[in-house]
Amino acid sequence: MIERFPFGKAPFWLLAMAILSTVLVFVTQGLVAVRKADLVLATSAANHVEAYQDMIPAFERKHGVRVSIQLVHSRALQTRLQNAILAGTPVPDLVEIGAGDISFFTRGPLSDVGFVDLTERLEREGLRKRLVEPRLSLWSSRGHVFALPHDVHPVQLLYRADLLEQAGVDPSSIKTWDDFIALRSRFMKDLNGDGVIDRYLIDLPIGEAWGLEILLLQQGVSLFDARGNLTMNQPKTVKTIAWYVRAVEGKERIATQCGWGQSLYKAMRDGLAIFYIAPDWRTYAIQMDAPNIKGLFKVMPLPAWEEGGRRTSVWGGSGLAITKSTERPELAWQLAKSLYFDPAKLGRRFQFTNIIPPLMDSWSLPEFHTPSPFYGGQKLGLLYAALAPDTPADWSTPYKTRAADKLADVFLRALEHYRVHGNDGLDAVIQRELVRVSADIERYMGRFVLSRQ
Amino acid sequence: MKQKPPLLFLLPYLLVTAVFMVYPLINAAILAFHQTNGPAARAFVGLANFRYLLTDPTFGQALANTSIFALCSVLVQLPLSMGLALLLNSGKGWARGLLRLVLFSPNLVGQIFVGVLFSVLFTPRYGLVNQFLQALLGWGLEKQWLNDPALVMPAIVIAALWLYVGFNMIYFLAALQGVDKSLEEAARVDGANRFQVFLHVTLPSMRHVVVFVVVTSLIGSYQLFELPLALLSQSNGRGPDNAGLTVVTYLYDAAFITGDLGLGSAVGWMVAFIIFSLSLAQIKLARVAED
Repeated sequence: MIERFPFGKAPFWLLAMAILSTVLVFVTQGLVAVRKADLVLATSAANHVEAYQDMIPAFERKHGVRVSIQLVHSRALQTRLQNAILAGTPVPDLVEIGAGDISFFTRGPLSDVGFVDLTERLEREGLRKRLVEPRLSLWSSRGHVFALPHDVHPVQLLYRADLLEQAGVDPSSIKTWDDFIALRSRFMKDLNGDGVIDRYLIDLPIGEAWGLEILLLQQGVSLFDARGNLTMNQPKTVKTIAWYVRAVEGKERIATQCGWGQSLYKAMRDGLAIFYIAPDWRTYAIQMDAPNIKGLFKVMPLPAWEEGGRRTSVWGGSGLAITKSTERPELAWQLAKSLYFDPAKLGRRFQFTNIIPPLMDSWSLPEFHTPSPFYGGQKLGLLYAALAPDTPADWSTPYKTRAADKLADVFLRALEHYRVHGNDGLDAVIQRELVRVSADIERYMGRFVLSRQ
Repeated sequence: MKQKPPLLFLLPYLLVTAVFMVYPLINAAILAFHQTNGPAARAFVGLANFRYLLTDPTFGQALANTSIFALCSVLVQLPLSMGLALLLNSGKGWARGLLRLVLFSPNLVGQIFVGVLFSVLFTPRYGLVNQFLQALLGWGLEKQWLNDPALVMPAIVIAALWLYVGFNMIYFLAALQGVDKSLEEAARVDGANRFQVFLHVTLPSMRHVVVFVVVTSLIGSYQLFELPLALLSQSNGRGPDNAGLTVVTYLYDAAFITGDLGLGSAVGWMVAFIIFSLSLAQIKLARVAED
């Protein structure tokens, strides 16, 4: 047959492939249409999917509908959702987005935001007062809430319990950062005599802003306020950056950067640092990815900046938004409430994630009081929930990523100065750099004519 | 008899070009004079996007970083490629083929793979590069390649070297094989040493390939994006103090992170203008040299 084809072998195979792929597309599209779900929820967190798959069948039975969960990589989810909303092409009914991504969608006039405004529903149904209020800051723009907070993410410190015990240090005696720094001489060591320090007190990032942001939020310093004004240039910021510079460089150094993934887990195993910043979500990631450190670590609250001060901060977050283009907004709202506000289900969810939900009623469930064998038998749920009401607000704006990047730049300039001049003029350099980057960010914010509408 | 152009056969190509090339180009040109927030909101801002770019120190830094990378590509990467090509050209047997494959193979995996790979190699304390430096020099175990602004660009250049040296070497090797051996022989008989033969006979003979490689390297350098994005993924490809920020990363950040397609479009046109000017200058210089 191929030989008899008038245009030769190559065109024959090209034609055959074209026909085959067309048939395949039609068949697969048909199958998708047959199995089309009533609601589609997209998320980038694999452990959330695990938890939801356990919770959704009951919702499906109750409402007689079919719910589909799509797991998409966080970068792809953000980019595809942005592009789909920009281009007006189909989007999922509900999307779980990361803390840094919401601001992209809330830029411009409120009427142009692609998510359903949930403010009134939260008030009307009495849900708002059941939540940790500061968590709504992350999902709000100009007083309107556009997503439900999935979590609180209080921050504590993970510490090598065995090494602290060997050194005879009682973690409950570390109440302030001054107490913490006083441990320096007991732990900072060159273990193999090669002139390189092999043990540090704490893991802190050097080229990224998250470490500084956590320490600033602990003191109530958010990069922006509730109205979207830039608030990073404060005396507390100067003081904290100077503290951080001395923590990572010079003779008062206490920190190293252990990185992410396998290098972090190896550092934890080797005891390269004794303490690690640990929001609730990180304890689960470590539990899953580094089973060989089981039993070595425990958690303790962050040291306070002054006696009796706040012992926690926040890091990251996910939120569930309902897209405006959904054909079933009521059903989507019911699903959102079922996943986020049903206390009975949140206990199970905690078991899959170690994540503290912002719904305060749920914290009394037995799952939150179960000892964790991975973390030396500590009741993780209880320890994190105890700090959750004290977590600071972390206001979201479209310019937050830029501001965080600039904060890291200020730190690096300060570090550069400290390497050459030490403490001389350090505060002045930090102040000058904060003024410079603030002007830069404000200039950037000022150029958006659409945001002023 | 005058033949009619086969318009019917050209139609699919013309249609695809019109839809996927001409229309986006026109739209991008219009966008560069607007500020956008999705398809619903768009405001005409005249030359404000270009004015902003010309006064934005971050864009200046992105341009400077990209130019440094482009310079390193031309002044470090290409001589290395040429050196390897000369070495392989003089060799014989199966080892030559094997070495050619080994040196070319990094190019098969792409920028993202290389970025991820080198982000592991450059890990402080546990990374292979740091451990090697410590073993060899007793220095470098804790070097923060990807967190120290002074080391970020060298890290990108090293990763790019591994990726592209072999690729450009193949072009040079092909050109070397086309050089007239009798000319080289004649020069040697006239008393020219190896360097003089290379400079006055070999290099002029492969002039067209050299110009092509320099121009494509420059274009590629100004389009650098995936490699720093993967290598510096913790800082969204910009690196500490914007030390790894390239113009295309700046474009991506403006258009797809901040959502300002207008500014992104303006950056795109500026990059296109820079690449066009540099390529033109390069080709003109080559012609002058030829004359």
